[in-house]
Amino acid sequence: MREPNAIDFWRGFALITIFINHIPGNTFERYTFSQYGISDAAELFVFLAGWSIGIATRTRDGEPEPRWRSVVRMLARTVEVYRAQITVMLLALAIIAGAALLLDNPLILEWHNAGNFFADPIQSVCGMALLTYQLGFFNILPLYVVLIGIAPVIVLIGRASRWAVLAISGALYVASLVFEWNLPSWPGDGTWFFDPFCWQLLLTLGFVLQDWNRVSPAFRRWTRRLMPLGVVIVLVGITLSVLEIRPDPLTVPEPRLLFTFEKSYLTPSRLVHFLGVLLAFSPIYALLAPRIGWIVGFLSGLGRNSLAVFSMGSLLSLIGQIIRFQTGGGLLVDTAVAGCGLVALGITAWFVEWRSRRAPRPRP
Amino acid sequence: MRPARDWLRVGGLLLAGLSAGTPGPAMADDVPTPTPSLECRVPGSQLYSVASLAAAKAALEERHILRILAVGGSSAPGASASYPVKLEAALEQAMPHVDVIIDHRGLPGEIASGAAERLRSLVADVEPDLVVWQVGTHDAIARVDPTAFAEALDESVAWLKSHGIDVVLVDPLYTASVATDADYNRIVDGVRDVATREGVPLVRRFEALRYLAGRNEKGEVHILGRQFRLNDLGLRCMAEHVALTISASLARTPAPEPAKAPAGEVASPPASEPAKPPAAVVPPPPGPPDLTGPQRAPG
Repeated sequence: MREPNAIDFWRGFALITIFINHIPGNTFERYTFSQYGISDAAELFVFLAGWSIGIATRTRDGEPEPRWRSVVRMLARTVEVYRAQITVMLLALAIIAGAALLLDNPLILEWHNAGNFFADPIQSVCGMALLTYQLGFFNILPLYVVLIGIAPVIVLIGRASRWAVLAISGALYVASLVFEWNLPSWPGDGTWFFDPFCWQLLLTLGFVLQDWNRVSPAFRRWTRRLMPLGVVIVLVGITLSVLEIRPDPLTVPEPRLLFTFEKSYLTPSRLVHFLGVLLAFSPIYALLAPRIGWIVGFLSGLGRNSLAVFSMGSLLSLIGQIIRFQTGGGLLVDTAVAGCGLVALGITAWFVEWRSRRAPRPRP
Repeated sequence: MRPARDWLRVGGLLLAGLSAGTPGPAMADDVPTPTPSLECRVPGSQLYSVASLAAAKAALEERHILRILAVGGSSAPGASASYPVKLEAALEQAMPHVDVIIDHRGLPGEIASGAAERLRSLVADVEPDLVVWQVGTHDAIARVDPTAFAEALDESVAWLKSHGIDVVLVDPLYTASVATDADYNRIVDGVRDVATREGVPLVRRFEALRYLAGRNEKGEVHILGRQFRLNDLGLRCMAEHVALTISASLARTPAPEPAKAPAGEVASPPASEPAKPPAAVVPPPPGPPDLTGPQRAPG
């Protein structure tokens, strides 16, 4: 088990933010940082995944591990994430169907795009296996499967040249914005909520910046010097979201995705904002960690077991939504739902580590 | 192809009979109205309120193409009997010379938080003439504050109209367990208020399903009980109810001026002046009337 560190801490922080934000309408939603900026916890999560790949594919003294081992390691992780997505989707559908039956309320079947499954199970179950059928709020793991699946390419090119991998990744990103490339949804019209062609840039950035941060004192110096710029960007983000100022996608010039604030495509404004958040907040952990006691250990524990915690969190947030619907919500219910959820996430992390201590096996 | 003149006559008669509560003049004689199947039949006053659809009218008269973005709700997409497929068929039957193109997109999430932004992106992507928006169920289930919901919805509808895009709103589904739920009813009221304020047509699905729920009938039984049967019926009737609302609204919309103002900004005087018969809907030679809708009546 790793000691608490900044990466696991922020990953745990992102996981809690995602959990709270996935219970829309709840009292605590408005206190998450996602409400005060252009980018949100999803960016943090994917970026840190890239950063972790950088750490996982090197030995402790910084030597890159053999290529075949990195490739197999990431393919194994891809299978693990895929398995998690299939399990979580099945359980989510069962929770939705079960709630509809129990409460004698068929409206619940329509929730989060689940109605498609119940109306057309023949195509939907194929779409589920292909990851092209996604429930609302259950669309991050499909992105993750694709990103970890292509990560071996990123890592191998990145070992040859960091600039090369950045150039290729950036070119794919820009082309996807200009030509609106995205993977299709099926069954039904439309495209993936998280466009992998765009979001891969963030994974690549995480991977490359981790490497620079490791070897380059100049890089570390500049990230410190640019912190005020990050603060300015964060302040601009707060202003824009509080005043609800954003570009109108029908009036911006073409290609419109270069100018809008779209989460699906990680548009440039979101990317710039996220980099600003990184600059502004990356030094915070060192200041915070000694002062907040057990919270560091708790969040780092969540972050160390992010896949299990994320999967459990998405199911818990769905259950939380149903509880809110049935009880009518309110501060008391919201506090109970959020509190029980956080405890359950903590138990999940503890359980995974307890289990892996008993049957030790290496994990990426 | 179904003869438009017969459609017009039969549909007009039926509608006149059904829509006792609908204010304003009856059908102008250029857009025939599809006939609802027996199981979906609801008095017009409880089914919809009509309003002018200037952009859609202009599109179908100038280009003979009507591009619709159907948003929200599920539809068993791709399956032959799905809502978008049925809506497209119903509208093309009603308007034989118009090519109706429907894009259906799910819109998970709440209008009051996030989904409104997603709608803007969808609209920029599809560039429709008309948005048919099933709205409110998610917000109601998420217990969003009804006032915040109505404000966000109003803003979105105003945005669509400001870009010359027509909107038809479809309010949330009805089921027994929400019949007396105050917040749920306030969301339904919110959709109706926005439709009135913004002057857009509304499919009153909640009312219509409540009517159908109250209808005493010895139809098929659903293995999961009454509410599930009603819900199935509601989803089956969606296409017909939406098609009826669109047709009735188009019939009320005056034909665009030759040197026309930007579509969408046309205030909607009732179609009292005789509308010139547009080329788009010149009726084909009459044939035998076909009254059977796509659905058979139960029992």
